[in-house]
Amino acid sequence: MKRGDFWLIGIIVLAAAYFMVAYIRQDHAADRYDGKAYAVVTVDGKPFRTIELTESAERYEIQTEFGYNLLEVKDGGIRMLEADCPDDICIEIGEVRKLGETIVCLPNRVMVEIVGDAEEGGETDAVAT
Amino acid sequence: MRSQHNEADAALRRSVVIAMFAAAAVVLGLIEAAIPFQAAVPGAKLGLGNIMVLACLHFLRGRDAISLIVLKTVITSLLLGTFSSFLFSIAGGLLSFAVMYALLRLGRDRFSLIGVSVAGGIAHNIGQLTAATFVLGTSKIFYYLPFLMVAGIATGIFVGFAAKTLIRALGRLPLFESLENPR
Repeated sequence: MKRGDFWLIGIIVLAAAYFMVAYIRQDHAADRYDGKAYAVVTVDGKPFRTIELTESAERYEIQTEFGYNLLEVKDGGIRMLEADCPDDICIEIGEVRKLGETIVCLPNRVMVEIVGDAEEGGETDAVAT
Repeated sequence: MRSQHNEADAALRRSVVIAMFAAAAVVLGLIEAAIPFQAAVPGAKLGLGNIMVLACLHFLRGRDAISLIVLKTVITSLLLGTFSSFLFSIAGGLLSFAVMYALLRLGRDRFSLIGVSVAGGIAHNIGQLTAATFVLGTSKIFYYLPFLMVAGIATGIFVGFAAKTLIRALGRLPLFESLENPR
């Protein structure tokens, strides 16, 4: 290890810490939200469908030219149950329920994002300061 | 005549080394996919293939390392991935190359292979996320970056150390001894 290495790693640690503080603050803001939450599913950057996060268990299939994914809504959260992508990272992410949280299945170009009242055009930015 | 012969000989040596390194990188990628590396961060990878890229940058030229990265990414994607994953990997691979090449150019006395490897690993993540931003049409996925960065420091140190060991061992072989030219 040389001096430059320590500088480099130090800068990376600082940058990561900065981003993480922003992330945690957003997380706290999301904690105070008690309205209805929705999961917006997009495939290849285009809206696919919006799912209400209900307490009762519900499953949603996403079958597109990019692949197959199966989402499960349960107890107000959503998670990726099955995916035919090679790495299964989206399944590893587990359940998400807070505003702003995402599940991404990069190979299948699927993105799931939790938003507030979807009918009002998703006021996420106002909440997640 | 003689210099022409030597040039052809050097080009052949380079091709042989690139092919061997690419094969090794693909096998490392397969091993990495096979071992259950349960990271705390979803999406974090060991990045064992970068060992071969670092060795290539040490023994050969920058453009040879690009050939290696393209070969490695195409073959690994054919074996394990999809077209989409190829797109993201190649974006990550090329950005990672650019950063590592620049750091090595800045000076080998300033950065060791460990620093270069850490920066290269994180640049790989940034390249992938940037490509994903264009494809998915949202920069929201950059939320994952800080966690990938922390994981990248640990895996980068490991990969850099492995590359150092490999380069020392290979340097003793006649084929590589002839390639090793301190720039």
